[in-house]
Amino acid sequence: MTVEETKMRDFILRRIRKPNLTIDENTPLVSSGLVDSMALGDLLLELEDLTRMRIPAGKVRPKDLDTIATMFATAARVGKPQK
Amino acid sequence: MLCGVANKNTWTRVATTRIREGHPLECRVPRYVNLIDALNAAPGARPFITYWVNEDEQETVTFEQFRCRARAQTEAIRAKGVSRGDRVVIIMPQSISAMTVFAGAMMLGAAPAFLAYPNYKVEPSKYRSGLEGVTANLKAKLVVIDEQFPDDLLDHVSWSGGTVPHRASGRRDSEAKPEIIDSSYPADCVAFIQHSAGTTGLQKGVALTHAAVLRQLEHLAQVLQIDGARDKIYSWLPLYHDMGLIACFMLPMVYHVQLVMQSPLDWVMQPETMLQVISDHKCTLAWLPNFTFQFVSRRTRPNRRAQYNLSCVRALINCSEPVRAASMQEFLDGFAACGIKADALQSSYAMAENVFAVTQSDLRGGSGPTRIWADAGRFRNSHEIVKVANGATDSICFTSSGQLLPNHEIRVMSDSGSILPDGTVGEILIKSDCLFEGYYNRSDLTAKAFTDGWYRTGDLGFSLDGELYVVGRKKDLIIVGGENLYPQDIEEIVAGHPAIRDGRVIALGVDNPDLGTQEIVIVAEVESEDLLARADATEREIRGSVTAGLGVAVGMLFLKPPKWIVKSTAGKPARSTTLEKLQKEHPELRIGS
Repeated sequence: MTVEETKMRDFILRRIRKPNLTIDENTPLVSSGLVDSMALGDLLLELEDLTRMRIPAGKVRPKDLDTIATMFATAARVGKPQK
Repeated sequence: MLCGVANKNTWTRVATTRIREGHPLECRVPRYVNLIDALNAAPGARPFITYWVNEDEQETVTFEQFRCRARAQTEAIRAKGVSRGDRVVIIMPQSISAMTVFAGAMMLGAAPAFLAYPNYKVEPSKYRSGLEGVTANLKAKLVVIDEQFPDDLLDHVSWSGGTVPHRASGRRDSEAKPEIIDSSYPADCVAFIQHSAGTTGLQKGVALTHAAVLRQLEHLAQVLQIDGARDKIYSWLPLYHDMGLIACFMLPMVYHVQLVMQSPLDWVMQPETMLQVISDHKCTLAWLPNFTFQFVSRRTRPNRRAQYNLSCVRALINCSEPVRAASMQEFLDGFAACGIKADALQSSYAMAENVFAVTQSDLRGGSGPTRIWADAGRFRNSHEIVKVANGATDSICFTSSGQLLPNHEIRVMSDSGSILPDGTVGEILIKSDCLFEGYYNRSDLTAKAFTDGWYRTGDLGFSLDGELYVVGRKKDLIIVGGENLYPQDIEEIVAGHPAIRDGRVIALGVDNPDLGTQEIVIVAEVESEDLLARADATEREIRGSVTAGLGVAVGMLFLKPPKWIVKSTAGKPARSTTLEKLQKEHPELRIGS
């Protein structure tokens, strides 16, 4: 995992704090129920901070945030430089 | 005197009427024969709906474009054999297309009903069960779905009575102008069916006539001083909910107001976009459930707030959940620098059975809804409201839901059926000129809902100084040793514990035969499973907080992992279903024995 992906992993672990949970860049988060809808906004905010990108509204579906790998791929695909 | 409504063609003045405790405004009747008549009267070039995806991707249709697209839908629906009086179920994602199907069905004189589109948040088994129950009850002629609607879910539509599916095209309608539909049916025809919030497969369908909807909208336009040329409504609300359907589709359609809307899913993923839309489009009005005020505040970074200008907002109306002063204050504190004014945060009490609003706080008051502080002990022990100084010890704060709309009356009734005076808490009964006549195909439920022509809301509240205060649901009231406890008060204390997920608490009253009274049972989700390791300490702290805050002891407290509590289709904790689940896991509760 890249430094940013590792930071995202740590953020998610802090957020969901499930004991003995290990996740990597391909662990399903949304489809597995580890992350719920109310947390998706928090993940997007963190993703914007880590990538220094702005994620335009309406360009991201829950499945785009299903794994750490898809999150960063999504940011690369739709993100715009922050003003 | 007419009250500042710009489009004077939409109603006629009849008489000056003062309703007990209501807005001191004139009573007017709508001029339009039906809702389509109102749509057809809209200025064609005026923008009607802007569907906002992001700053670069937006679609706007004028009233004339909307009418043309709706007429094209009418033709498609008619080609499927639908005629006047038939029911048309619409299960499509939030979109202009879905709205044109709805209007197209009404143009034909059919009665459309929006149902929630399946999304990843909704539990599949619950969605299937709801779909089956609702479609069976409506006996619809047509079920309109989009091209992506999953085939396997169609197995759960009730196809009795010749119901047929119709996949509406996702492509934009052609520029060809379809013929104008003859929509000259009388106002007492059913316009559409909206569903009251429910968590089971049998959501209650509320059939509403054009006349009832027009009267409701006329009252709303009057008290909100709606001006089609000046106002713009913002919405992320789902169209299958009365707040989304009435306030954010029918109201702008009839009063020719521009609506700027976005998908509920897009909003929940990026709640800050609400501020961006309002700011960019200079929206003046929005209706929001209480939790939105906190949700947006907590998910908008302080360093991004300066880019939003909210000074255009006339009213953000807190509606459909108990109004919490703390939530509104948090929003005000967070965005005062963006120009939001204290008097722009307003409140309303509404329900599908009355088309929508029963009360509305006074926008001309200058300071938002009235707040009062009352003696907490008298409130809990004798249901009395005794005002005390603001913030006094052992006091409880109530936020008003406003004054009655014109032609609305309320009664507050005790359990024994006597009418209670002002300042006494009881069940709220309403009577109005836009009240529904019954639940669709459910005469059994209708009979239970009315007493002497008054609709029993099941909500508890009191009236005071001409305003209505709603304190909770009657069936949720917890009575411990003769003391009345409102679950929301307990839930607010429990949710304040750092280990507990905000909004994921349910407090219940469960009969304890040994004690001869109810005891308090609380189910609360922890923020994360590892916190269950220190459940004993958390439980002690929560019990202590509830006792300190309300002076009562908690009978049983169940700390559960995230996502344990069952949610309704509206995303709120579902009390009865959660209680059933709790009973299955903990038969020692002896619920209902």
